[in-house]
Amino acid sequence: MPVVETSELRRTFTARTGAFTRHKREIEAVCGITFSIERGELFGLLGPNGAGKTTTIKMLITLLLPTSGSARVLGLDVVSHARDVRRHIGYAFGGDRGLYDRLSGTDNLRYFAELYGVPPRTQRMRIAELIELVGLRGRENDRVEVYSRGMRQRLHIARALMHDPDVLFLDEPTTGIDPVGARELRATIAGLLTQGKTILLTTHYMFEADELCDRIAVIRSGEVVAQGTPQDLKQRVSSGSVVEIEAFGATGRAIDAIRRLRGVRSVTVEERDQVHVLHVRVAPDAEVTPAILAELSSARIGRIESREPTLEDAYVELVSGG
Amino acid sequence: MRSLRILIIGGLFSFRALFDWLNPWIYIPSLLIAPVFQILLFVYIGRSAGVESDSFFVIGNALQFSAIPCLFAMGHTITAERFTQTLGIVLSTPAPRVPLFLGRSLPVIVNGWFVAMFSLVAGGRLVGVAVPAAAWIPIALAVLIGTASCTGLGLATAALGLRVRDTATLNNIIIGGLLVFSGANVPVGALPRWMHVISQWIPLTHAIEAARDLAAGATLHAVTPLLLREIVIGTVFAILGLASVRVLERQSRRGASLEMS
Amino acid sequence: MSGSRRVLRQLLVTCWLQLKMTGPDTFTGVLNVAWPLFFATTTFLVYRITQHGQVIVYAGLGASIMGIWSAVATTAGGALQRERWIGTLELIVSSPTPIPLVLIPITIAMAAIGLFSLGMTLLWEWLVFSIPFHIAQPLAFAFALFAMVFAIAMFGFLMSVTVVRYRTAWALGNFFEYPGWLLCGFVVPLSVLPGWVRPLCYALSPTWGMLAIRQAVDGGWPWVDGGVCVGLTALCGAAATLLSGRVLRSARRHASLSLT
Repeated sequence: MPVVETSELRRTFTARTGAFTRHKREIEAVCGITFSIERGELFGLLGPNGAGKTTTIKMLITLLLPTSGSARVLGLDVVSHARDVRRHIGYAFGGDRGLYDRLSGTDNLRYFAELYGVPPRTQRMRIAELIELVGLRGRENDRVEVYSRGMRQRLHIARALMHDPDVLFLDEPTTGIDPVGARELRATIAGLLTQGKTILLTTHYMFEADELCDRIAVIRSGEVVAQGTPQDLKQRVSSGSVVEIEAFGATGRAIDAIRRLRGVRSVTVEERDQVHVLHVRVAPDAEVTPAILAELSSARIGRIESREPTLEDAYVELVSGG
Repeated sequence: MRSLRILIIGGLFSFRALFDWLNPWIYIPSLLIAPVFQILLFVYIGRSAGVESDSFFVIGNALQFSAIPCLFAMGHTITAERFTQTLGIVLSTPAPRVPLFLGRSLPVIVNGWFVAMFSLVAGGRLVGVAVPAAAWIPIALAVLIGTASCTGLGLATAALGLRVRDTATLNNIIIGGLLVFSGANVPVGALPRWMHVISQWIPLTHAIEAARDLAAGATLHAVTPLLLREIVIGTVFAILGLASVRVLERQSRRGASLEMS
Repeated sequence: MSGSRRVLRQLLVTCWLQLKMTGPDTFTGVLNVAWPLFFATTTFLVYRITQHGQVIVYAGLGASIMGIWSAVATTAGGALQRERWIGTLELIVSSPTPIPLVLIPITIAMAAIGLFSLGMTLLWEWLVFSIPFHIAQPLAFAFALFAMVFAIAMFGFLMSVTVVRYRTAWALGNFFEYPGWLLCGFVVPLSVLPGWVRPLCYALSPTWGMLAIRQAVDGGWPWVDGGVCVGLTALCGAAATLLSGRVLRSARRHASLSLT
């Protein structure tokens, strides 16, 4: 039985705009998401900001009621058995908030240990273990207000693990952390799998999903546009090649014309400073470079490079629908 | 002419931008209903003690409560500008200081006057206090002078805001002090000697006494000495405030403590 | 550990941690002690004029309780909002502990801070105004005082879930503070208030707590008043618990638990 499963999960928000004439606008943040997570998996929800990742997670951890569809965690419905679900899940999110600044790290853990009903005898031992696990030893009695963001994030993870949950939900845990700290945090997360935990991780860092996740669902505008292992996703783009062209002054018409060329699978355009960088996905054995350059005759060409496609190309292609 | 413009326009802008209390969800319970409750509290204390009249407590508390928006708005002006880090910018403009800060005071005075008059009318209505119709305008004038004087005190405490982190605590203590020392609820003659002395040198004492006399039928002419004294006290505090701003500003520039880190 | 012992321990520990959070802070300290003290002082100065000895003692006892009411009334309304600002509201709601068991320790902690104000006020009264303070029945007084603290704490819990939809609940402090002092009979005998308002006064649990405290100090029989206080406190708690369930369900439907 999957540990987490969703079926056509949907969530709509009503936004009220205008101060005097209150227009109601329905926003579909999540439009029918279906996926499942097996025990011991590290599952990634990958997508850009505003794609619906956080909304999905909040429905699974019972903070939001779905508009329609269903979700089950450990076989328990998240709507009708919310309290039972909460006993078995842990939740941590990225950023500075979510901790009591005036309490020490240990006291923060103690507070949440009480909220999660961790028996007193187990508390002390577990707090010490978790402090060690997340690398906060020596700082646990300092007030959280002096912690760096990386330290706060690690304390978050410790807090989420206090009651030894079966399933862990991590919402963009490495946001805003320096690269070294983020790397340590990712190592910690990966280590949790060896303890038999099941993890759902949301991120907008493709490389993070690639590095950590057993399987990934790519979300765009509230919908899952692709699902599979990082390998599967790479397969989508592994055939053929990518031609990267730096062009100064490439017009929209030229780019559209390139899109229509035979052998061209897709074109995504990246703006770097003053220059357009075209990533042209080319079918295998297609020789399109001369044709591309012909379309760009009015532009000034910088670097041209042909390379293997990467997961990043797959991701960009999926989330921009290009 | 330029000074006048800085005075009026600058004042209005800063008032809107910095005084969050203009939100009706905050304004009504905090500044319109709360003072009426305070009036009721002391009217009943007075009745229970058999001391003075309802009118005595209505006027005293209406004026004393107006110290809250006056002091907090002025303190907020400085602290908030410090918080948004615009204080350095504002103080480094070539605009002359006096109209700059007086401009910020005008909306505060008007608001304080409105709060006091509202609670005076509403509170008086609730407990059945009858004020002669002819007395209302002179009373309104006395209230205006009282709130202006209080705002002068607010300027002084706002100047302190350049140095002190927590003007809120300071303001609460001053407002509490005004409650006890200004004769809002205790006739100043009945205060212990040392308290009586203090009461003569703080804002509101004379404005409250003048308003009470007017409500009892005195003429404006009769209370003019009291009102003049109130004006002087308020002006002294305002000057103290402006002078302190000058001094502290110079010190802060040297010590780079103008902005909150 | 049995269920009720666990709940009790949870209440104690979370209460203690709340105290640690709010404790050492000049603003809270000054506000909690000084503010009610100014009002108490003014009240005594008024009563002193007519030399009504009994009334001063009456007011003196009630004035010391003012601080407990203020400590809760000025902060309870904003309790949930504060958790939301800190970012912990979601974490609290997604825990298996029902929200009443999270909010009640918070309001108890606030009320406990008010006890400090009580001590300071009594000391002040004795030193400055020579108001005597003799407790005829210390045990009953302790019971009545604890009943009062819980009554006010539970009222705070009710306030915190009632005003949660009110966007600027944090600004309602003064709005709740003064009426409480007046309606619970702290400094004014209820017989002075208009007849129509008295049923409202007697519907408030702190009113009965105050009556019980006075009985204990005067050597009367505080147990009936104390019992009514406890009963009304329980009712208040039950109402607040029901309301909190509705509020949370609504928040989950309308996504209002977080700032984002």
